Amino acid sequence: MSQRKSYAVGTGLFIVLGFAALAYLATQTSSVANRQQGASYTVDAQFENIGQLKERAPVKIAGVRVGQVQAIALEPGKSVADVKLAIDKRYADIPADSVATIFTSGLLGDQYVGIEYGHSKDHVADGGKLALTRSSEPLEEMLGKFFGAGGAADNIGGSYMVTARFSNVGSLSAGSPVKMAGVPIGQVLSVQAEPAKLDALVTLAIDNRYNQIPDDSAAAVFTSGLIGSQYVAIQPGGSPDMLKNGDEMILTQSAMQLEDLIGKFLVNGSGSSDGKQGANPPTSPAGKH
Amino acid sequence: MNARIERDNIVTQALGQIGNCGVFLLQILAAIPRSLRYGRETVRQLWFVGAMSLIIIMTCGLFVGMVLELQLYHVLSMFGSTSMSGTVVAIATYRELGPVVTALLFAGRAGTAITAEIGLMRATDQISAMELMAVDPLAYVAAPRFLAGLVAMPLLCCVFCALAVFGGHLVGVSWLGIDNGTFWSNMTATVDVWQDIVSGVVWKSLAFGAVVALIAVFQGYTAPPTSEGVAYATTRTVVASSIAILALDFVLTAFLM
Repeated sequence: MSQRKSYAVGTGLFIVLGFAALAYLATQTSSVANRQQGASYTVDAQFENIGQLKERAPVKIAGVRVGQVQAIALEPGKSVADVKLAIDKRYADIPADSVATIFTSGLLGDQYVGIEYGHSKDHVADGGKLALTRSSEPLEEMLGKFFGAGGAADNIGGSYMVTARFSNVGSLSAGSPVKMAGVPIGQVLSVQAEPAKLDALVTLAIDNRYNQIPDDSAAAVFTSGLIGSQYVAIQPGGSPDMLKNGDEMILTQSAMQLEDLIGKFLVNGSGSSDGKQGANPPTSPAGKH
Repeated sequence: MNARIERDNIVTQALGQIGNCGVFLLQILAAIPRSLRYGRETVRQLWFVGAMSLIIIMTCGLFVGMVLELQLYHVLSMFGSTSMSGTVVAIATYRELGPVVTALLFAGRAGTAITAEIGLMRATDQISAMELMAVDPLAYVAAPRFLAGLVAMPLLCCVFCALAVFGGHLVGVSWLGIDNGTFWSNMTATVDVWQDIVSGVVWKSLAFGAVVALIAVFQGYTAPPTSEGVAYATTRTVVASSIAILALDFVLTAFLM
């Protein structure tokens, strides 16, 4: 009988342990844990662009979670997003001139609202409003600024226009950098399909500082890294004449499509080498096998 | 009945087994109300198949979580998103690895023991003796073990998943230096209670528990009453359970998710 009792106790312990594990999984590792606990107060903040911010996204001060996004709505009649932040009552002393910013955790992470303290003596009350906000920065704009800083995008020196025709520009778009020797020297002004010649007409704005580019230079559409954005690379030629405003670059190399590369790689076994452009980068996988 | 099946070809044999198994399931379900008076026997079986399996389940859960985290860390560090590795450990474990690995371990640890025990009961005429004493062997032997498997599997699976998350945390945060806060907040932001925990952990493991317990009891109950027969039935429990678990997993995933 005592043996049976020990079975019963052990089995009971097992069942309790199992349910405790289930309760742990459900409450500590799932979205239930993010539900608001304890009293909170609501603060409004208006953003011009909320990017990928979602309801229940965290609100952080100095990286510490102090609340969550309660609701997101479009302000009636205006093109601004009204975001309601539910902030824990414990953090009731946020200065009224604090700045609410939409940040991204990491490069690909989720977005959250970060609050940077101001210096005001007044605190934001329940139902109050954070007047100072900074919107989410789309990655493209940030990249544009980054490349523009070293290049000619808004350089006082001005720039000159050069056109180039490509049979395929891949995902090249206006604002993509133009690089020579890997250094940004300008940007793509426009990408247009040419109705008559059935190819893409790309206009490049190159900084006036770089006016010593030979007119037989080649323009190629390259990709930075495997999944990076595309840019126009200029490979200098040997002509004594230089490119001038309005010139067209004759030698171009179109964007490499991954499918084409794989196709070439597979077909190359037959021995026919593809010397169409003569300017193929040495990185093209012309593997012999 | 068995002798006739063994003369047939393999397809007829397999179909016959599945048919007999289905009939046996109905018999067990019909015997469950009668087995309620043997509640203590069910508790003893639950102790045997559930509580005694805890050590292997916990150890394996811990190591599965640790190795998953280690592998994911190396792949995700290429993309600079190692903070998501805990999330992937949790979701992969809740949705697939937890129920499936627990069920495979359960078949190996508890299923074989059930088959061998019932097969030896049959071989040593204990089942016939019960029938002579007017004790229904389906209600006293088969149904308690089936019920115990049904109850034990979800509980074991929850323990497995909890230990896997703990193992992932151990490797990711304590060893590889992922931030503790992002580890948990990414996990809690992504894992959904209904989608991942209820339909992943609970429903799947309930279904796997029923299948493994049914196959184990059925193989033991129909084992030829020889030592070779019992050995063969034990092997078949593991083989049939493994196939059934993985095939059922696909079907359940297609329906639940």
